[in-house]
Amino acid sequence: MENIIEVKNITKAFPGIIANNDISLEIRRGEIYALLGENGAGKSTLMNILFGLYKPDRGDIILRGERVIISSPAHAASMSIGMVHQHFRLVEDFSIAENIVLGIEPKHRFLGILPYVGMTSVNRKIAQLSRDLGLDVDPEMKVSDAGVSIRQRVEILKMLYRNAEILIFDEPTAMLAPQEIAYLLKILKNLKEQGKTIILITHKLSEVKEIADRCGILNRGRLIGVYDVASTSASDMAAYMVGRELDDELPPPPQDFGDVVLDVSNMSVAQRGLKCVDDVSFSVRAGEVFAIAGVDGNGQKELADALAGLIDVSGGSIMLSGQDMTRASVRQRIEAGLSYVPEDRHGIGLILDFPLRHNLALRRYYVSPFCVNGVFKESVFDDFSTGLIENFDIRCGQGGHTVTRSMSGGNQQKAIVAREIELASKLMIFVQPTRGLDIGATRAIHKHIMRQREAGHAIFLISMELDEIRVLADTIGVIYDGRINRIAPARELSTEEIGEYMMGVKV
Amino acid sequence: MKIKRLLRSIIGGEKRQAFIIPLLAIFCSLVVSALLLLSMGRNPFVAFQSILAGAGVLAKPNYAGGRGMVTDIMMTLAALTPMIFASLAVTVAFKGGLFNIGISGQMLFSGFLATILVGYSDLPSYVAIPLVLIVGAVAGALVGGLIGILKSKFNINEVVSSIMLNYIIMYVISFFILTRYVDSITRNSSAINASARLVFQNFMIGPYRAVLPVFIILAIGAAIAIKFFLDRTRMGFDLRTVGLNTQAARYLGISPQLNIMFAMTFSGALAGIAGVMHYLGYNDMIPPGSLSSIGFDAIAVALLGNLNPIGTIFAAALITVISQGTTYMSSVLDIQREIAQVITGLILLFSACGAFLRQLLSRTGERTE
Repeated sequence: MENIIEVKNITKAFPGIIANNDISLEIRRGEIYALLGENGAGKSTLMNILFGLYKPDRGDIILRGERVIISSPAHAASMSIGMVHQHFRLVEDFSIAENIVLGIEPKHRFLGILPYVGMTSVNRKIAQLSRDLGLDVDPEMKVSDAGVSIRQRVEILKMLYRNAEILIFDEPTAMLAPQEIAYLLKILKNLKEQGKTIILITHKLSEVKEIADRCGILNRGRLIGVYDVASTSASDMAAYMVGRELDDELPPPPQDFGDVVLDVSNMSVAQRGLKCVDDVSFSVRAGEVFAIAGVDGNGQKELADALAGLIDVSGGSIMLSGQDMTRASVRQRIEAGLSYVPEDRHGIGLILDFPLRHNLALRRYYVSPFCVNGVFKESVFDDFSTGLIENFDIRCGQGGHTVTRSMSGGNQQKAIVAREIELASKLMIFVQPTRGLDIGATRAIHKHIMRQREAGHAIFLISMELDEIRVLADTIGVIYDGRINRIAPARELSTEEIGEYMMGVKV
Repeated sequence: MKIKRLLRSIIGGEKRQAFIIPLLAIFCSLVVSALLLLSMGRNPFVAFQSILAGAGVLAKPNYAGGRGMVTDIMMTLAALTPMIFASLAVTVAFKGGLFNIGISGQMLFSGFLATILVGYSDLPSYVAIPLVLIVGAVAGALVGGLIGILKSKFNINEVVSSIMLNYIIMYVISFFILTRYVDSITRNSSAINASARLVFQNFMIGPYRAVLPVFIILAIGAAIAIKFFLDRTRMGFDLRTVGLNTQAARYLGISPQLNIMFAMTFSGALAGIAGVMHYLGYNDMIPPGSLSSIGFDAIAVALLGNLNPIGTIFAAALITVISQGTTYMSSVLDIQREIAQVITGLILLFSACGAFLRQLLSRTGERTE
């Protein structure tokens, strides 16, 4: 079968990271090609290059036998490449049909003068398209009334309406419920039967197994290999995906653990009616780093938020040093000995418009000596922030008076870590503490975490990066679909085994 | 990019921006107003001079008997007092992440309650004046608090509820004024007793007769106190945190609900004081069926003052001077009074652009650093 699109020796670097390193792929007309890889393996970068959002530093794209340069998404669309992004790009107040024709509206002139957009024929055409593919979409419905699954189908129709032949899906099942996933996979098969070529970015092996013909596996920007899905076992794919060289990383030196600090039993969390943490039980001891491994979106964020008191649990209990904290407020938990470095550092971890000295004191500003009779003691803030800036090597132009927004991401994260570690809480929760940071900042934060471990604090770490878990964790729990399916000492778990639990191959 | 860099070099860093951008806005609006006046065949310098003279900042060539520059400036200060309070009300709400567009309604409510409860009584001044202030603050706080509760408990947008309350308050109070408190000659509410009035009338300062707006000192004191409250107290910090980032506030254990209610109540109380300063100070009666424009101008004043309580004093002074100087300017130049509103409008338009400019610069700044 002929190759509809080939990429040859594509390299794309961002500051501090090579997202795509000399990748070559050949995709055949009419196949479903899955692109597998962990978070940050470079899948999305590669597809954004195909869709014209990024320009590669080196390498060529060959479309239907001709070398092309794709300069923009519009250009990609004109060459019949379409993409469904993970986060949909739809206008809420427009009808489905209006969204689909946006940018290529059929323009008519009433009485030959007044321009208008003729929606009647559009509605009919879209209804027809939708029926042919079993998409079941009402063109006149408003997007704001449509659920996630329908919105995704609108995105699919948007590509098809523009006569796309190569359809790129970026983690299309991430936001869908199980029956919606089954429906989507059926649609993908229909599209393939209609002769479309599909590139599917995913990290869910079960979907790859079910519909893909071939799969390319990326790891840290490199193409590990291209495999025929039918003849490759899911556990092999999982192993290729996480990569073998990770085993070289040394786990932390053994140390004796103290008493149980955090004890979670049968905890469940439901958000918008969907159960995202499902009957989870584990405990973390003093001096232990307990790490949750898993692919993004399997309930990690909700798990951490529930422990910190940001969202309510729907069942089970949380004990902190023997005290029941299941229904305690955020401040009660902090005061009982909890620190929380959240995943979303800009959204909730910092007030970006505050000066650094206020951000560093966010956990303490309301008590003495920072605040006496409701009034701040400015000199205390100054001394406190100067101390933390020195101890944690936070780089900032004007010391404590630097506006936090102007600092680099690494230094912002150091500020959060400094603030939370300074509390000397019995339990410290770190979620994705080094995401997006360069190597220097990552090492610094790892060192701080290990120092807290040695000092006898219980550390609860959530990370999507296996190598981070490898170097930090004493005990690993693997989460998949809201459940922790395996908990074991880090030394007893091979990376392959973690990969299999992470991908849901083993449950 | 080059233009942005040039702008940056003119405007300077974060600290300087706070001063330069409002000044730039005022300068631009004066230039455009001057062009406008020129196009009407009027001398812009004479126009600006007569505005200042009308407001008592510069001397007029001649005065009526017993009147002087001090008469005009005192009247301007009397008008400035409610404007400062109203702008502080906007600022406090803004800092809590809320848009209080209901200040005019809150002013009217407090002004009306103070008028009927205290204004028509025979209480001596030393009882009546504190009572007027208390009634004003409480009445405003009640309306503001209601908006805050609707927002935090039922997630009703404060803009919608306060605009609706504006109308409800205006028509209900209009009904009561017209049926019970109307003055048969002026068709406004009957004038309050002088003992309850917050601006002392008919004072002789040297040879000139003038009003004595003593509570301007309270207004300036309030601005300083609110500056301190926002910057240096725990409650002010909580309020600003909620205003800047509700999610982060929840992460820190600060209740967004409580702070939203508090911010609106506080803002309402300030608006209430603005109300009594206007209806029982600058004026001594309430015209039925209308809202004071102060509550709306205050939004722009607060923005021009960079949402800084101290900056608000200066911004309010500028806008009040222009509106007080208008009548005189229109008689000197023989043009419509409305032209002054155009100038005010231009200042506000440019100050809104200033906010945009600042955002633009901070965004490019981030990228370069």
